[in-house]
Amino acid sequence: MMLKQAAKKALGLTSRQSTPWSVGILRTYHENVIDHYDNPRNVGSFDKNDPNVGTGLVGAPACGDVMKLQIKVDEKTGQIVDARFKTFGCGSAIASSSVATEWVKGKAMEDVLTIKNTEIAKHLSLPPVKLHCSMLAEDAIKAAVKDYKEKRVKTNGAAAAGETTQA
Amino acid sequence: MKKTKTMVASISTLIRRTYPSTNQCNSLATIQSQTQLPRESLQHHSSAEGRLRFSGRVFCSESGAGCWNCGEKAAFLFCNSCRSIQPVDDSVDYFQIFGLEKKYEIDPGSLEGKYKDWQKKLHPDLVHNKSKKERDYAAEQSAKVTEACRTLTKRLSRAMYIMKLNGVNVNEEETITDPTLLMEIMELREAISEADDSTSLNQIRSQVQEKLKQWSDSFVEAFESQKFDDAVKCIQRMTYYERACEEILKKL
Repeated sequence: MMLKQAAKKALGLTSRQSTPWSVGILRTYHENVIDHYDNPRNVGSFDKNDPNVGTGLVGAPACGDVMKLQIKVDEKTGQIVDARFKTFGCGSAIASSSVATEWVKGKAMEDVLTIKNTEIAKHLSLPPVKLHCSMLAEDAIKAAVKDYKEKRVKTNGAAAAGETTQA
Repeated sequence: MKKTKTMVASISTLIRRTYPSTNQCNSLATIQSQTQLPRESLQHHSSAEGRLRFSGRVFCSESGAGCWNCGEKAAFLFCNSCRSIQPVDDSVDYFQIFGLEKKYEIDPGSLEGKYKDWQKKLHPDLVHNKSKKERDYAAEQSAKVTEACRTLTKRLSRAMYIMKLNGVNVNEEETITDPTLLMEIMELREAISEADDSTSLNQIRSQVQEKLKQWSDSFVEAFESQKFDDAVKCIQRMTYYERACEEILKKL
């Protein structure tokens, strides 16, 4: 738990420098959400066909949201070195995926699988009606890791097949 | 006694044969009320307020209690006998209000006329000199009729409503991972965000509306063959396309 908090600080979540969670004045969106919406980090795409990239593509049909989260993994260390996202949806969905890309950077793949939507929601002070947006981000992370692993299995399988034919 | 029973039985078979989709309980209750009412009032029902013909079917209050004011048996939303507004009956669904069969395919043009007819009787503005109780009934009934019209007019909300009537709740917040669908929607939304002028936006819009019609038809197929899983998928797609249309309209 403490390690996680230290890691979060290490990732340099500058948006939270001067912003307390509980805001005295009632706002529609929490400042963290507005920040991630106005200054989204890591918007963009990696090449889907890059073997070191895992792509998670998820959707929330109830509200018509679609979220793409990509991770770039260092194959030697199994660490996520970079992340990108592209989300079409409400401010909470965009902010959730932006936060997700920040949190996965520098972590091992197994670690990011433990990121819970409740943590994202708490960070953004999401109201109950928007909880599913953070759930979408959690699912996107898992989908990206799953995609990467499946790709590795394929490439390893192909490599092994190549070796046997050569032998 | 036996004669009446056989008469009732044969009438119910006749009605069941003519209107196969009619709710069984409804038709039997209708018959019983018909045999009890004198002939004159029966004709009064079908001819008075003649504009409100419910395709030959007489609806009576599901609770069977009749009008709260005069006890008239067949008081549906409004009692034609004493002209008092009835309390909302939750078992009455939107299709019944508009006298439509519980089918997805309806003629949306037919809604407006009946909507206006109902509001002429139920609207709160018309009951200022009535009791508080009746004014409350007016407010609730009028709101329900408005909501019914709204729900049945748009394809997507109608689809979701008819699924709900069949016990399938569509609006659950589950995540989907279907790559084909999501890829298509991603590309669509990207195209919309990149489009700058109204020509290209309108072009995309007509494409999306094509898709909406196409998936609406698929929904009908799936729903009528009771393939509710497929029907849900159709609704999901329609939601995505509707959302895309909203984004286009925002940009235009």
